[in-house]
This record gives sequence, C-alpha cells and structure tokens, in this order.
Amino acid sequence: MKALQLHHELTAIWRTEPGWRGHLRSVNHSDIGKRFIVAAFVFFAIGGVLAMLIRAQLATPRSAFVGPEVYNQLFTMHGSIMMFLFAIPMFEGLTMYLLPKMLGARDLAFPRLSALGWWCYLFGGTIIVLAMLAGVAPNAGWFLYPPLSGRTYTPGINSDVWLLGVTFVEISAMCAAIEIAVSILKLRAPGMRLDRMPIFAWYMLATAGMMIFGFPPLILGSILLEVERAFGWPFFDPALGGSPLLWQHLFWLFGHPEVYIIFLPAAGAVSTILPVMARARLLGYGAIIAAIMALAFLSFGLWVHHMFTTGIPHMALGFFSAASALVAVPTAVQIFAWLGTLWSGRPQMKLPMLYLIGFFIVFVLGGLTGVMLAMVPFDAQAHDTAFVTAHLHYVLVGGFVFPMLAAAYYWLPHVTGRQRVMRIGEAAFWLIFIGFNLTFFMMHLTGLLGMPRRIDTYPEGMGWTALNLLSSIGGFLQAFGFALFLIDVVLQIGLGRVHRRNPWGATTLEWAMATPAPAYNFASLATVTDREPLSTQPDLGVRLARGEGLLAVARNGWRETMVIDMTTGAPEHVAILPGNSWLPITTAAMLGGFFLSMLAGLYAVAPLFLPMVAWLGWRWAWTNGYHEDVGPLDAGHGYRLPPSFEAERTTGWWGSVLALGASATLFTALLFGYAFLWTIAPNWPPPRLIAPSLAVPALASAGAALSVVTARQGRIAAALGGQAAIVVALVLLLWWAPAPTGHAYAATSAAIAAYGIFHAGTAMLILAFVAARARAGFHSPARSGEVRIARLWSDHGAAAGAFCAILLVVPGWLA
Amino acid sequence: MTVLLRLSAGPIGWAVAFCLIYGLHGVGCAHGWDRIELPGGDAQRIVLAAAWLACLAATLALALYLSRDRSTPLGRAVLATGWTGFAATLVTFVPLLAVPTCV
Repeated sequence: MKALQLHHELTAIWRTEPGWRGHLRSVNHSDIGKRFIVAAFVFFAIGGVLAMLIRAQLATPRSAFVGPEVYNQLFTMHGSIMMFLFAIPMFEGLTMYLLPKMLGARDLAFPRLSALGWWCYLFGGTIIVLAMLAGVAPNAGWFLYPPLSGRTYTPGINSDVWLLGVTFVEISAMCAAIEIAVSILKLRAPGMRLDRMPIFAWYMLATAGMMIFGFPPLILGSILLEVERAFGWPFFDPALGGSPLLWQHLFWLFGHPEVYIIFLPAAGAVSTILPVMARARLLGYGAIIAAIMALAFLSFGLWVHHMFTTGIPHMALGFFSAASALVAVPTAVQIFAWLGTLWSGRPQMKLPMLYLIGFFIVFVLGGLTGVMLAMVPFDAQAHDTAFVTAHLHYVLVGGFVFPMLAAAYYWLPHVTGRQRVMRIGEAAFWLIFIGFNLTFFMMHLTGLLGMPRRIDTYPEGMGWTALNLLSSIGGFLQAFGFALFLIDVVLQIGLGRVHRRNPWGATTLEWAMATPAPAYNFASLATVTDREPLSTQPDLGVRLARGEGLLAVARNGWRETMVIDMTTGAPEHVAILPGNSWLPITTAAMLGGFFLSMLAGLYAVAPLFLPMVAWLGWRWAWTNGYHEDVGPLDAGHGYRLPPSFEAERTTGWWGSVLALGASATLFTALLFGYAFLWTIAPNWPPPRLIAPSLAVPALASAGAALSVVTARQGRIAAALGGQAAIVVALVLLLWWAPAPTGHAYAATSAAIAAYGIFHAGTAMLILAFVAARARAGFHSPARSGEVRIARLWSDHGAAAGAFCAILLVVPGWLA
Repeated sequence: MTVLLRLSAGPIGWAVAFCLIYGLHGVGCAHGWDRIELPGGDAQRIVLAAAWLACLAATLALALYLSRDRSTPLGRAVLATGWTGFAATLVTFVPLLAVPTCV
C-alpha cells in the first residue's frame, strides 16, 4: 500500500500534463527521447525517398526523370538530412531515453535543455524540409564547398537554408552533448564508480566529448560563410585574401570526427546488446574503454584525408594518411572483443542478433575500403567517384543503421511493454541486407570504372549501365525492407501482447523497472555494487519499486534525483530538477525568429530576437534556486544530503565548464582560420593593418583584471565595469579597423573582436543576474552555487576579451 | 576526474604533437625553410625531426608514467591509452623520414 501511494505521489510530480499543453511543456527525458527517435525516423524516411529518386534517375543512361537542378537538390538534401536530421538526432533520442534509466537516475541533468534541443531540432529540420518543398533546397552538396555555395554561384537562398537550418539544428546537438556528458559524470546511481558504468555510458561520454569539441568548427564555418553571403565579408574569397580551403578545413575538422560521433553510440548499442544475445559478460571491458578513448582522439587527426587532392604538400598528406590507417586499430580492438564475447558465450539467434551480424559484415567491409582510401595514391584515383559514395554508405549504414535496427528490436519491448506479433522483422532484415549490398557493392565497381559521384546522368557505352540498374533495384529492395520494419513496429505498438519485465534477461539497470517506464523511472534509487547490477541482484527492480532504495520519498513537489562523486560514485547531493515549462519552446521560437529573419534577408529585424532570447534565458535561470536555507535532506539509508541549491559544485557548474569548453574550441578554430589565411591564402599581407595601439589592449587588460579580482570579492558593480571596459576597447578597435568587406584580414579581425564582445557582454548579463538574485534573497553562504557559475562566465569573458584585444594589435606592432 | 584525465593523457600528448608538427610544417613551407640547406638536410626537415624526437620522448615518458597501475580494468585502460599516445606519435610522423617536405 505504501509503495502504491509512493507511486501515485511520484507520478503526480513527474508526469507530463495531458493534451497539447503536455506536448508543448514536457521536459521528461522519456518523452523527449521518444520524440527525437520518431522525428529522426520521419526524416530518415524523407531522406530515403530522396535516395529512391536518385536511384530512379541513375537506373538508366540519359534519364530524363529529373533535371540537373532538381537532382542537385536531391543528393544535397539526401546527405544533409541523413547526417544532420537523422543520424545525430536518432542516437541523441535513444540516449536521452535510455541513459538515465541505465545510470539509475530519474532524469537527465538539465531537462529543459533537452526540451530546448528538441524544439530547435524540430524547427530547424522543418525549415530545411519546407525549403525543399518550395524548390529552394540546398544544392551545393552536403558539405557545401565554396565557391560553389557562395553568392556568385548560388545567388538564391539555397545555401542560406543549409547554413542557417543546420546551425539551428546544431544548437540541439550542443545541448544534447552537454546534457549527456554531465548526466553521465554526475547523475549515476550511488556506488556506480566509473569502472562500474555500463559500457554504453562510456561510449556516450566519449561521443558527448567529441561533439563538444567537434561541432564548434562547423558552427564557426557556417557563421563565417553566412556572413560572407549576407554581408560580403570575404573569408573564402581568394581575390580578397580568403581561401575556399579554409571552409574545407573547418568543415572536415567537424566532418571526420562526425563519422565516429555517429559510429560510437551505435557501437555502444552493440556492446550492450551483444553480450545479452551471447549470454556472456562483455569481454575486454578495459580494452574497449581504451579503444573508445583512442578513437575519440585519433578521429580528430584525419580530417585532411577528405582533402587529399586539394594540393596539400605530400608530407602533410603522409601524416594524415598514417593517422587514417592507425584509427583502424582501436576499431579492430572492439571487433575482436565482440567476437571474443560471442565465442565465450552461447549466442542466441534472436532478431537483434541477426541485425548485429549484418552490422559485422557491412561495417567490416566499409572499414576495409576506408583503409584503402586512407592511402594517398589510391584515393587520388578513387576521389569523387562512386567508390567513395559506396564506402561511406558501408561505414554509416553498417556502423549506424544496422546497430540502430538491432537496438530498435532490443529496446522496443522496453518502450512499448509489448512483444512482437509476427516474424516480419526477419523478412525486413533480409530485404535490407540484400538490397543494401546490391546497391552499394555495385557502386564500388562503377566507381572503379570511373563513374563520378553527383552526376545526374551518364552516356551509354561506359560500362556503367547494368551496374547502375542493379544498384537501383537494390535500393528499392532496401526501401521495401524499411517499410516492413515500420509495419512491424506499428504492429507491435498496436497489437503486441504485454510481456514480462526484462524479456532478454539483460543485466543493466534500465530493465529494473516496469515497462513502459513510469515518468519517474524508479520509485527509489539503486545502490550499485557491480557492473551488471541485475546479475548480482535479480530482484532489484521489485525492491526499488517497493521503495527500498534511496530517495524513496515525494516531498515538496520536487523532482529529486541523486548527484554523486564522478569517480567514486559516493552520494554528493540531491538534485532538484525543474518541472514542465513553456520556456524551452518559447526560447526555440525566438531563436527560430532570428534564423528565419536572417533567411529572409531581414537583417535589421533578426537582432531584435536576441534580447528576447536573453530575457528568456534570464527567466530560465530565475526559476532555479530557493529563497531560504533548508539544510540536508533525508535521502534514506542514513544519508543526509544537501539539496542542489545548497551544494558547492552543482551540475550547472559542470555544464557551464563544458559550454565554455565548446566556446573556446570555436575560438581556437577561428584562430586557426586566422593563422591559416595569414600563412596560406593568396593576396596577403593585407593593404592596411589595425593601428598598433597600446592604450586599447591596456584598457581591455585592466578591465579584465578588475573584473576577475572584484568578482571574487563580491563587488559585482566593479566587475560589471571591468567587462564594460573590455567591450569599449573592442568596439574602439572595430571602429578603427579597416572595413571588413575589403580583405579577409579585416573580416577575420572583426570576427575575433565580435567573439570578445559577445563573451564580455554575456558576462555582464550574468553578473547583473547575480546582483538581482542577491537582492531578491536567493543567495546565502549556503546557497552560493550561482555565484561560482557566474564567476566562471565572468572570468572567461575577461580572459577572452583581453586576449582578443591584444591579438588584434599584434600584427600592427610586428609590421 | 583524475582517472578521466589519465585516460586522456596519452592521446592528448599525441594531439599536441600533431598540432605542433603540422603547424610547424605549414609555417616552414610558407617561409621556405625547405630551401635552406643545413648539414644533415634542409632546415624544414631538421626542425620537424627535432620536434618529432622531442614529442616521442615526451609521450614515451608519459606512457611510462601512466603504466604504474595495472591492477584494475581502468588502470589497464590508462596503460593502453598511454602507450597509444606514444605509438600514434611514432607512426603518424614516419613520413618525415622519406617524403618531400613542401612539394
């Protein structure tokens, strides 16, 4: 009876409101995760239809099915949708749904951030797809190389749709990355030390880290290219000191890690599902962690292998070629660990296992052609042919789609609480597997026979005709397979019989709950003593449901979950998470207003949305915290822990550290661009440099020192003054600098100054917020977490602003 | 946090070496170091080789330092990533030995 009452009380606190209001305001991780998954599948279907149109066009020579302009939009949209609107959001959704459950938590660290990411993804993706329906879809290829994507060769809004739409969607990816990393580091079940984390969490920790450091170069590149298109700042125009190669560097600095960002979550699913199917413990847990970390870093040193034919010196090509071959080693370590696990167990040929076998075959083949393409002489021959298209599909479909299909069948009973009704999934597998190999194996051959990628038609007599027809037939077989998969899922949701809990006999915590999962996941939280909690405590789920774990209480209407020490897993404090809110959707709507205004060329209107975003951010932060000290809370089992607003170092602090890390990465990419153009681009040195002033950097440095010192003393007004001095110094530099439209030097200098102004301005806003909160009674010696977070942002603003001011006058000093 | 830093230390060593040597390569080619002949080869190759040797020594020292604890799965993972940093630094820059520098 007590357990039932606890269930009712927790449901009242955690539930999503009914009706449309609930849809718009929900911040629950299960809701948001499922929405991401469904939307990503819808985008996958759209991308798939585009692929069918491409294959229809290429099925026969001299096809008149679509013209070149439409064809350009088809292949650009197919690639962009699959990469940005399907693959990344799909694993984000799966992770958002699963991760708290696997970690033994009730939600993610920043529920409203997840919801904001969802709305940004939905709005950004919708803009891109609507542009396609209007006939103005991006058409310069999914990696949008200038000068083709520049104003001269793409005068319409096609490229703007890509640049603004994708950047809008990338806000969602950055939100997810910070959310996932902090949740893994801080929101685990007590006792879940790092070496007891489920292997999926290790994969996602590495993935989130890669996203935090991998996406900023793309975001920077997109901003620079959009600014060039909108305002004529010549970052990529060689006539004015720019270089199109800078875009390629920035794009592939993101683009190659992106392949592993997509692969690692799928490999995490493989490492989770495969031991269950093999009825064995995962072999080489430590070796796999080492391989994940090696991949996470090495994958950042390969980007130039996408640029082997751009005229880069041979020695540099050699560095990237060697690194590209090297990255196969940690991938192979994982493959051998999986094979060893299968060997040591008693594998069951259930449906998820069938898809894992498909993954093994297709992904290993893709990896081998990857090693071929890592060799410079071979790449020079195969570059921009259908061979490359075939390779990337083997890697991405093998390394992501097959594992995701396995994951869908493995975790669907968790989502629906139901069993499959018919054996349609097996038929779907064979159609997809045979269709895929028919399509893309043939494309290896057409590529080796010299067929370029991205051509809308080809003549007879090239030896490509029969192979292309077979590829097209294979493509349509795949489409039938995916249609069957969809039917299978719909049947399971609608007609499947309710099944017992944990149908696979899995050992991870997500199965220690009723399915479908309640809104709060666990009525009480587990204490973990083993990497596979359900193997040592098979009745754990029942005991947690009876309220025998930690935080078995519903008090004050608070959404409570445990925050732990990230290494030892010892309980640290109780996080009080925010409830359902209008803030995520309204913030996303304001951001959408900004992006749409830019897209429409309303450059005077677009900035008006930014104060609205800042005001919503203020409201967002204002709803955190508490007016009075409440002291330690009873967490059960003898633990008395402070609530998050009385904790010394909150999840918000960690989130801020990661957000600033992402920002610093963007700035580093900007500095790389600055140095790259100085060193490589034609038409340098520039006609005029910024005057070698001493006073301006001195003003910025003095402001920075004032801000750093006084923020520590609690003198917020003085700290605000310091940040204002930085803004003034940088504005003065911009004022005296040559016009940014005249040369890439001036454009890059203006971008650097803008970075400093933005961060000093943000620091001013946060300092003003802290001052207002102190006046409103939100702060006390116990409740000082916000002040620490504000200091992080303020110090970063000070350091960035002073550095930018000094950097901008250095060339003038040296000249 | 310390464990995560130790797990990352080896690959970070490689990443630092990569940025240093690739950056030096770009600067050297831009300033024509490859056209300056010195005893033992051109200035570009000598500078890059010196940087490589320094990075190898640093990543080797780091790998040895990280190899002390082998008793736990994470300790062994730290050992493996430490040696990965050294091995990657060794393999990635082998082209220094044979390939023309700025052609």
